[in-house]
Amino acid sequence: MIPGDRFDRVLVVLLLAVLLSLGGLLATQARSGAGAVTIDRNLERDLAARARLAFFEQTYAPVLSLQAAGNDQQALMKLEELGRRYPGEAHGDILRAASLLRLGALPEAVAAAVRAVRRNGDYVDRDSPFSQRPVIEQLVDEGLSSLAEKARLAPGNATLGEALKNVYYLQSRLAGGCE
Amino acid sequence: MMSISLLKKLVCAGLLLGLVLIPAACKPQRERPKMKIGFMNCNSAPETLQRFRPLTRYLSERLDIDFEAVPVDTQDFEERFAAGEFAFTHGNSLLYIILKENHNLQLIATEKRGQFGARTAGAIIARSDSGMKSLQDIKGKRMVFGPQLAPTGYLAQYNLMLDAGLDPERDLAYYAIPSGSYKHEKVIYAIYFGAYDVAAAPALDLEVMIEAGKIDADDITILGQSPIIPYCTFGAAEKVDPQLVERFRKALVELTPETTVDIDGEQVKVLKAAWIDGFEQLTDTDYDLIRSWARRANMPPYQKF
Amino acid sequence: MGRFDRHGWLILLAGAALGLAGVMLAAWGNPENSGICVSCFIENSAGALGLHGNERMQYLRPELVGFLLGGTLSAALFREFRSRGGSAPLPRFVSGLFLIVGCAVFIGCPIKLVLRLTAGDWTAVAGLVGLVGGVWVGLRCLAAGVHFGSGRRQSGGSGLWLPALFLLFLGLLFWQPTFLALSASGSGAQHAPMLISLGVGLGLGGLAQRSRFCITGSLRDLLLMGRRAPLVWGLAAFFLVALVANLGTGQFHSGYYGQPGSHLDALWSGLGMLLVGWVSVLIGGCPFRQLIKAGEGDADAGLAVLGMFAGGALVQAWGLAATAAGVPLFGKVAVLCGLVFVLVSCLLFRERSST
Repeated sequence: MIPGDRFDRVLVVLLLAVLLSLGGLLATQARSGAGAVTIDRNLERDLAARARLAFFEQTYAPVLSLQAAGNDQQALMKLEELGRRYPGEAHGDILRAASLLRLGALPEAVAAAVRAVRRNGDYVDRDSPFSQRPVIEQLVDEGLSSLAEKARLAPGNATLGEALKNVYYLQSRLAGGCE
Repeated sequence: MMSISLLKKLVCAGLLLGLVLIPAACKPQRERPKMKIGFMNCNSAPETLQRFRPLTRYLSERLDIDFEAVPVDTQDFEERFAAGEFAFTHGNSLLYIILKENHNLQLIATEKRGQFGARTAGAIIARSDSGMKSLQDIKGKRMVFGPQLAPTGYLAQYNLMLDAGLDPERDLAYYAIPSGSYKHEKVIYAIYFGAYDVAAAPALDLEVMIEAGKIDADDITILGQSPIIPYCTFGAAEKVDPQLVERFRKALVELTPETTVDIDGEQVKVLKAAWIDGFEQLTDTDYDLIRSWARRANMPPYQKF
Repeated sequence: MGRFDRHGWLILLAGAALGLAGVMLAAWGNPENSGICVSCFIENSAGALGLHGNERMQYLRPELVGFLLGGTLSAALFREFRSRGGSAPLPRFVSGLFLIVGCAVFIGCPIKLVLRLTAGDWTAVAGLVGLVGGVWVGLRCLAAGVHFGSGRRQSGGSGLWLPALFLLFLGLLFWQPTFLALSASGSGAQHAPMLISLGVGLGLGGLAQRSRFCITGSLRDLLLMGRRAPLVWGLAAFFLVALVANLGTGQFHSGYYGQPGSHLDALWSGLGMLLVGWVSVLIGGCPFRQLIKAGEGDADAGLAVLGMFAGGALVQAWGLAATAAGVPLFGKVAVLCGLVFVLVSCLLFRERSST
């Protein structure tokens, strides 16, 4: 397409002028940032994640020290109390899963872990500061060895079937993929 | 305008239809079989009926049987069951074992409530400022237990003490069991208000009271806790048709928190009214731990005189 | 089979390259079994552009940019760039949207379907059945006279704008402005090095443009012509190379349970891919092929690509996408709406003989 008449030439000149202005604007104003209202989502998100981590560390510290001392029932009671203040908080559920596992309530531990992971996928991430992979891996290993065998021996048992489905969900999340 | 012959035909057809439909509408409903379910009283007969009337209605509708809920005190349960007063039972897991061993009760399903689902545990607790840290510290202290036939109010804790090398009959200053109803809550309040030093508390009651804000988790120290055992259990007499038992089980296990029944014109949530989260199908071997505890504590059904 | 001609060898090469790249990109950092997944990449890219708020799926995928621009470069080099379009633009836009809906319910595009199968994920079999079924139904519709129309040669450079848009995306990739969202966790944070992804994308885009390789096109040809069709051999090469690569890199884990990025809802996997196969036949190619055609100047395909971006945004913003927990109710509703759309389109776009 070659500019033909005067009108075409005017259009081409205007086009070049606008392109030059755009280039100049990006080159100069981008550096100075004057009048800019920047949207730095990534920084905001990073700050929110750090704040969330600090909040968890502070709020759930008593639970973690009880768990470390082997007082899992006491830890569960504390989680119950915290659950009144922060209902539906995923972190409570993942810590609950760990204590329930140690106390021998495997199906309930798996269900608690599933609730937590569905609300916050960071628990299955390898590199996340929120990662709880070791607990979830243990739940999957024990679930596959004991629940799978029980379900095999009692094929009509709906409760076992549901518990096994939860184990498979955690297994799939640990394997990764687009989620 | 309609012709007279057509009008006559329509009137005849209407009369004929009426002759067929009216008797059908007036036909009496088929009699449903009647059966009774014995519900162990936790605190009182009125409370038991209020809790389990919706569940009983639900079972009646699902199984096309007229079930009647019969509230029964724990101490009278075996006797009344043996007398054939009711074919289905709902009671704690120790009661299930007693009826199973002595009368071949069929296991139907186990109730789910609380964080352990269809299981629960018994704990020995003290006030957090009592200075006690372990079970050895309860020697020479005043202890309060729940009812003797409560697996997680007495039996579990008795065994915990035996496991720790403590003799409940000798190593305590004394022990008591509160009178009246709400015994499990009373034992927790007993140590909370300092009437006793140590209590045998079901983990479920601790959970419920914390959830309700009656106590705080920081108020209590758990000195020891038993392994988890099955919770309250539905059973059926030996003579009940196994197919009916299977249908009963299915009806229970399929209950969801949204299931409702009509009670006096009101839609009532079945599980919520009964204080239950659901039902789970366990096996008889899941109750073996309670059997070992009962043998060790010389409790029914293994009691020797 | 006969001897392959030059074009046939190009198809084999494109298939093999797709298989190898699909596995290696996962080994180099892309999500498991998702070394190449056009629908996942579009969802991620839509998130990066701020079109949805799922913080775990926000990354402007260089592969996506590479596919389209690679097609453009190849078309320009071989003088095949033609601005064309103008046939059923809005239905194509909506078709693109529903392509992504179907993929999101299956959790993967047709390329990822093959990658999942070659990684031992047996849950993908239901998707394969659905995809083949959808292609078959689409062919029946074509035979019955359903026709969205062919794009006409257009003046005014209408086909330039999508490559221009993707050039902008290329600029954003290097410039990394603060308004571009970037996941810190989740699958959006899993990616191969940018230059490698871009290079692979450009290479595959060029190969695909020259060879006209397309997954649903291969299935279409298989159903129409059997083993004679060169595209079928391209698909076979893709499958075999991906299988060997998965075995070689230790990414082959045979089983039905616990597979990455999959769920156990076989019915909806099948229906999602049925929708994808059906729509792909009607608009002339799978999501990957739409990108390549858009790069060649096909404005109709460009609208389908824009529809795919809209779909990528919606499936995440409205929670339509399936997860390992299964398919949400509204995801199922969306698939059924997609089937309604395609059925209505078939009724409306059918050329009936006047006898």
